[in-house]
Amino acid sequence: MLVIRPLQMTDLDDLYQMAAEAGKGLTSLPADRELLERKIQQTRATFEQDCAPEAGLYLFALDDTEQGRCVGVSGIQARVGLDEVFYNYRLSNMVNASKELGVHVQTPTLHLTNDMTATTEICSLLLSAAYRKGGNGLLLSRCRFMYLDDFRSYFSDKVFAEMRGVSDAQGRSPLWDALGSRFFDMEFGEADYLTGVGGTSFIAELMPKYPIYIPLLPAAARAVIGQVHENTVPALNMLQAEGFNFNGLVDVFDGGPVVEAFVRNIRTVRDSMNRHVLIRHRPVNVDVPPEDRVMVANRSFGEFRVTTVPAACLSPDTISLSQEIADQLRVESGDSVRLVRLKERARADR
Amino acid sequence: MWLVRPATHDDLDGILGLLQLAQANPVSSTLPATAEGVSEKIAQSVQALSGAVNPDAGQRLLFVLQASDTGAIRGVAGIDGRAGNGQPFYNYRQDSLIHASHALGISRRVQVLYPSHSLTGLTLLCAFLIDPDLVGTDAFELLSRARLLFIASHRSWFTDETVVELAGVKHDSGAVPFWDSLGRHFFNMDFDTADGHSGALSKTFIAELMPPNPIYVTLLTEDAQQALGVPHDRARPSFELLQREGFQCGEYIDVFDGGPVLEARTNALKSVITSHRKALRASEREDGDLCLLATGTGAAFRCTLAKVVDTLDDAIQAPLAALNVLGCQSGADAWVTPL
Repeated sequence: MLVIRPLQMTDLDDLYQMAAEAGKGLTSLPADRELLERKIQQTRATFEQDCAPEAGLYLFALDDTEQGRCVGVSGIQARVGLDEVFYNYRLSNMVNASKELGVHVQTPTLHLTNDMTATTEICSLLLSAAYRKGGNGLLLSRCRFMYLDDFRSYFSDKVFAEMRGVSDAQGRSPLWDALGSRFFDMEFGEADYLTGVGGTSFIAELMPKYPIYIPLLPAAARAVIGQVHENTVPALNMLQAEGFNFNGLVDVFDGGPVVEAFVRNIRTVRDSMNRHVLIRHRPVNVDVPPEDRVMVANRSFGEFRVTTVPAACLSPDTISLSQEIADQLRVESGDSVRLVRLKERARADR
Repeated sequence: MWLVRPATHDDLDGILGLLQLAQANPVSSTLPATAEGVSEKIAQSVQALSGAVNPDAGQRLLFVLQASDTGAIRGVAGIDGRAGNGQPFYNYRQDSLIHASHALGISRRVQVLYPSHSLTGLTLLCAFLIDPDLVGTDAFELLSRARLLFIASHRSWFTDETVVELAGVKHDSGAVPFWDSLGRHFFNMDFDTADGHSGALSKTFIAELMPPNPIYVTLLTEDAQQALGVPHDRARPSFELLQREGFQCGEYIDVFDGGPVLEARTNALKSVITSHRKALRASEREDGDLCLLATGTGAAFRCTLAKVVDTLDDAIQAPLAALNVLGCQSGADAWVTPL
């Protein structure tokens, strides 16, 4: 069974391996054991309420209970930019016009901003290659929206995600080559890594502060501003389906877009409903396609669990769970759970 | 002999002929390229020298180089008493920022171009244009330096600092690397069009179209970076002459072609330091040192080149022909400086 639960220290090896497989470009979870350990510690402190929930880091593991292994991770950073400074470029437009000459020129520009400061970020999505099927990615990503929904007061009204920008197989980013590298004596991967390990002060120290006029950049760099890496297209599609939109901000290094949504408008949040648990011993056919499954969340802050069950388990007031599933979800008969369909049916099926 | 004097309306055709000549070897000049433009420039100068313009408000003066035997106009040169003439005078100021990260042990010098009006209101040498055949000759030096003698002899009309813009790098293909890398994106026109507007129109269009924020030099093309503050090859004789006068490349460059703006303390200019006032005496002597000789004030200003013999008293001896060209009598006051 695949179950979402808070990440724990025993996941470190699995997490490290996934981070190593992901390679460069995943800023928030670089393959650095010490750093990952710190992240897990931070996560534990958050779920165990040793720190203010508004300052927490919420990392969730996708647990393959049969294998006893963490096969995916996803996260929520309750607030960004409060300890460090959080940078983006805002893609902006400048118009210069001369009536006398009949000239009207629009110049897209990049302005260095801290506009996402104190906003909730959804981040750190990693899924083992072997599990990229059957709606597992949806479960791993969307469980966060169920969490945000139930604990809204700890998060900002608006949440955002930074999408990985364009780079080639060697990890070279056209925007970095044209812009960042002119100001930093380092490779894109190195700069990206430094950001991931939490030292963003060097951005303030080395990054250009004045607006960058995009027409001065070469075509290859202009073309990738606001574009995602091809491997990130599915993630972007998923977030767009949830109601996330490009908010005009891009990553300072690779130009990847920032997408954002108000929590109350996220589709998972809007479509979720409550049911009471009814434990049944009658066997259910659990082998159904993602379109026929629902995500079920136990609504616990510190022992958050989410798994999927066949939609057939639903009745108007209750949801029938086997004892095994109820145990995994840590719920008993009569407990309230929150649920939402795992995957929309393809349009043609409706 | 050569004569430099303030332009009059009668010089219009001569100046237009010169403009046509110069088209074969064009070097950007702030002299307008149209008859209307030149005519207006002459009118401004005539009006200024008639006393109708308060020097503090900025006089726009235009001088011509004339061959005294044929009367042909062979060169033009101007002084704007106050750069910008009451409007902002645009440049980029080259400056550096240090981007340093202590944690990473990185320190990097970042070159930035700041839009600047700092030179607004300073005395500006401008509108220099000479028959290409005369480049590098004594007449070339006379035309350029006669303006400095005018400044020396009318010192209170001008500011304590004097600046000159020199044409920047332009390839034979007509491409202007600095413009093509920067200005073109914002003005949406080619260099010659913009340059033409700059000579002819008010500078409002620069305010409207020029990028308002500083420019990182590293984002310009390699070609454009090479051209920063570098004079056009054909402006090199002027560049060298002005350097000998004491002008120096400062931190300012032209907004269009990136050519250098030279700056000097007016009182430190060679022509100003070495020139002095003497009574002019006609003589038959053929020896002596070749000097610039200027007489008259305002519209009556005349400057020529002649062999001059200095005397121990407050007088100098110059050939009668020189006095004739200057249109003065023996005993007249003259400013004199060695060539």
